[in-house]
Amino acid sequence: MPQLPMVASLPPGPYYGALAEFATPADLYHACEQVRDAGYRRWDAHTPFPVHGLDRAMGMRRSPMPFIVLGMALLGAAAGFGLQYWVHSVEYPLTISGKPYFAWPAYVPITFELGILFGSLGAVFGMLGLNQLPMHWHPLFSSAPFEKASDDTFFISIESWDPKFEPEKTRQFLQGLGARRVELVASE
Amino acid sequence: MPPEAEAAVLDNPVDRRPELILRSPTFKAITDAVVDPIEKPTPLGWWFFFLPAVALLGLLGVAVSWLFWEGIGIWGLNVPVGWAWDITNFVFWVGIGHAGTLISAILYLLRQRWRTSINRAAEAMTIFAVMCALLFPGIHVGRVWVAYWMFPLPNQMGTWPNFRSPLLWDVFAVSVYGTVSALFWYVGLIPDLATMRDRAKTKIRRIAYGIFALGWRGSNRHWSNYESAYLLLAAMSTPLVLSVHSIVSMDFAVSQLPGWHTTIFPPYFVAGAIFSGFAMVITLMVICRTAFKLEHIITIRHFDYMAKVILLTGSMVGYAYGMEFFTAWYSGNPYEMFTFTNRALGPYAWAYWTMISCNVLFPQVFWFKRARTSIPILFLLSILVNIGMWFERFVIIVTSLHRGFLPSSWGYFRPTIWDVSCLLGSFGLFFTMFCLFVRFVPMVATAEVKTVLPQADPHYQPGRGHAFGAGHTETV
Amino acid sequence: MTSHAPSAAIRPEQVALPAGSLLARLPVLGAGLFGLGLVLSVVFRSSNPRGFAFAWLNAYLFCLTLALGGLFFLLIQRATQAGWSIAVRRPVEAVVGTLPLFFLLFIPVWLSMGDLYPWSLPAAAHDPLLKWKAPYLNTSFFTVRAIIYFVLWSALALYYTRASASQDRGAGNGPTVAMRRFAPPAILLLALTQTFAAIDWAMSLSPKWYSTMWGVYFFAGAFVGFFGLLLLLVIPLQRGALHGIVTIEHVHDTGKHLFAFTCFWAYIAFCQFFLIWYGNIPEETAYYQVRIHGGWKTISAVLAIGHFIIPFFYLMGRTVKRKPALLAIGAAWILLMHLLDIAWIVLPVSHPEGLSIGAVEIACYLAVGGAFLAGIGWNLKRQALVPTGDPRLRESLAFEVS
Repeated sequence: MPQLPMVASLPPGPYYGALAEFATPADLYHACEQVRDAGYRRWDAHTPFPVHGLDRAMGMRRSPMPFIVLGMALLGAAAGFGLQYWVHSVEYPLTISGKPYFAWPAYVPITFELGILFGSLGAVFGMLGLNQLPMHWHPLFSSAPFEKASDDTFFISIESWDPKFEPEKTRQFLQGLGARRVELVASE
Repeated sequence: MPPEAEAAVLDNPVDRRPELILRSPTFKAITDAVVDPIEKPTPLGWWFFFLPAVALLGLLGVAVSWLFWEGIGIWGLNVPVGWAWDITNFVFWVGIGHAGTLISAILYLLRQRWRTSINRAAEAMTIFAVMCALLFPGIHVGRVWVAYWMFPLPNQMGTWPNFRSPLLWDVFAVSVYGTVSALFWYVGLIPDLATMRDRAKTKIRRIAYGIFALGWRGSNRHWSNYESAYLLLAAMSTPLVLSVHSIVSMDFAVSQLPGWHTTIFPPYFVAGAIFSGFAMVITLMVICRTAFKLEHIITIRHFDYMAKVILLTGSMVGYAYGMEFFTAWYSGNPYEMFTFTNRALGPYAWAYWTMISCNVLFPQVFWFKRARTSIPILFLLSILVNIGMWFERFVIIVTSLHRGFLPSSWGYFRPTIWDVSCLLGSFGLFFTMFCLFVRFVPMVATAEVKTVLPQADPHYQPGRGHAFGAGHTETV
Repeated sequence: MTSHAPSAAIRPEQVALPAGSLLARLPVLGAGLFGLGLVLSVVFRSSNPRGFAFAWLNAYLFCLTLALGGLFFLLIQRATQAGWSIAVRRPVEAVVGTLPLFFLLFIPVWLSMGDLYPWSLPAAAHDPLLKWKAPYLNTSFFTVRAIIYFVLWSALALYYTRASASQDRGAGNGPTVAMRRFAPPAILLLALTQTFAAIDWAMSLSPKWYSTMWGVYFFAGAFVGFFGLLLLLVIPLQRGALHGIVTIEHVHDTGKHLFAFTCFWAYIAFCQFFLIWYGNIPEETAYYQVRIHGGWKTISAVLAIGHFIIPFFYLMGRTVKRKPALLAIGAAWILLMHLLDIAWIVLPVSHPEGLSIGAVEIACYLAVGGAFLAGIGWNLKRQALVPTGDPRLRESLAFEVS
């Protein structure tokens, strides 16, 4: 699935896309399967909470987050261990409580903690980065019904970038999937 | 709540999962129930909690200022008891914080859906508890103006902190714990902040909540990365919470003092932390669910489960007491044996038996369902458990110090008014922050609670209840 | 990949072991190994009683910990009313059901007390420290405690396996409620008896040494070893006789337990080592001194890397846990590492110079392991492979990791 463009720009043409409103997760789930099977690529679903199985219904690939987090965690652990090794074996070696300079068991706690810290920072900022957040303005916010997306209503939006998007055809297609209402969202 | 509804709440069906949220609310009803109190003007009851808390916070400010001015001598510390209330309070608050992470992270990994009603408040509790915890090592160093020496910053003296010291591991562990807890809490908050933004009635509120909501628009492509990040944070927070209190326990266990140097300390401290943390969650939730009329979301069943966790972790603590006691005898080491008999029969016996009563004896009532589901008993027990756990840390620290290897150095510790002020003041800090939290932020994770409702399942058919066999996990 | 609703109730006959499969042949195979091992052991015992004693204890503790880990798991699943594990509970019960057998297998340990435990010898009366411990470490109390442990473990094993089997034959929901109610006290009793068994049989090999963490450490190894064994039973079933009933989801979740408790074992083992290392008190470091020098140094390194680092990275990802063949390799590896852990606990007392797995050790593994496998195989054959009468079986069959 192609990702959203890195630069938040507006599409050519008068419309951002079509926005369809659904009443229940079940309705949304089945509609998503149909949108996926119809071959649309630049589209999304909007829900107040993550709906179980919706990723599959949309034909999405798994998130790359685990790799980002593992990489960052290993980096943090290496940094922590390396710092301690350098300080106690190279830079300012001191004999403390009769232990050797390279007292590796004593380095484990901080190594572990820094690994977790870096991994967590990777998780949070990686997630925000992959999601291109913060993005405080978005054409969908100009739609009044869309405010309910964070409460109790479920939406599908098909962007006009999608090669198969045609304003009236797409709107009728969405209406036919059981949407409560469909609107074409203006692009400014 | 009508008795029939209460009775239904307490049942434990054998062949299906019980309903977690009562009154079968709609998604909107959940949002309204949680968010309405925040949107209305401040209720009078809130001030009854907030003002005394702020007063205690002021007391803390006075006590800490005087401490910085005059020095550690204003506390009751002496030789041999160089650590007393300061470190007791530190371990006490860090321990309380652990329940929040357990509820968020460990119960998430264990697929315990009942956590969704309490995890937001518990995570907030963790952040504030960690704030209180970090206070004590910070102020007890003496020369606070060179506290930056604790961090590995290149300096003109060419010196570095001693990474082999557990005190420094604490600095890293508790700081990382506070940071990760805050991040985890905030990430969980983003969808709810979006809800607040979309419902905001005034422009100021819309902008304020909107800034922190980061433009969240519920996109499922975002949810996919979000859920993955949440799972990974939970997977990392689990060993983190185990490691933090283990590292705190190592402040004592790496020494050579009888009563301190014993290998079971790390898991024993972690179990004790969860024990006291859950007790604090119960204390807070008993008050908040009634104050905010959320009894159908934070139900008696949730308290039943929390009480069971308290019973489990209390048993682990009791096991550790038993092992320490047995091994003190088994070791044949006269110093070990003296330490333990001194605890039970010496000058601090009053503290020891308070600890045993509150941690081992009284929680046994939770074997009985009547006790686990009675609000007055839950509230009373939760406070007793926290008293017991404060005394446990006090007993461990002070009894091993006050009568060490050299009888001519034996002494006794008595707290001064400033020890007491710092402890009370820390409660002031904690409750001030918590009051602000419940006033401005949804105290229940509404997005998560909605996922627990039967109609959140895309294969749900009304009238047929949970659809087993439709390909999704179903756990309580 | 959505799973359809499970069909109507499964009948016990549908889920029996196919004759001729490896698991079906386990009783005979196990009995054969036991017989061979026993004969060899008797031969070796006459020429080297001390070597035999340690080898038998070593093999015995390895297999016993697996069964005890299984009992913990079974009780925890009952206490928490876990749903996912119901479909794989019969292999667990098959392992747990062998516990009464360990009563008999303990006899060679009991007979070899003099070779194993310095405190049981008459000379101990002259050592002040051993004299101090004599109220606890004496042969009569040791025997009485062992009997208590086995009576309790056998009672729990028999009750929990029989009550579960009775539901196949239509006993209804009652047993589930009873088993759930009794599980928490049973866990407490198991924790205490397992702790003192570990102290009696393993820690008192070095009677002057002690560690409050010992019971927890023993449990951690037992638990993770058990998950290795469980996977080696469940994966063939998932691919063969129970295909479609036990799914990759159950295998994945069991794999997650294997990963999680590998980490837990490492945490406990490291904490015990670290605190003793840091305090550096000679009466405590004696235990590690023999294990980090000479021939045992390599084994300690192998344990640290093989029992933690390698499985940590191997079992971390989703891919391995969802490919049964790869996960089975991981499970076998963990089982091997647990075997090494037990050997590292027991054998340095008799062989301080290094690990030597000779003929006597292998004979004892064959004997105890053979009996253990025969017991598991026999239990598997006696019941349906899936608890068809469990009231929440449907939930387990529909289980998806997420």
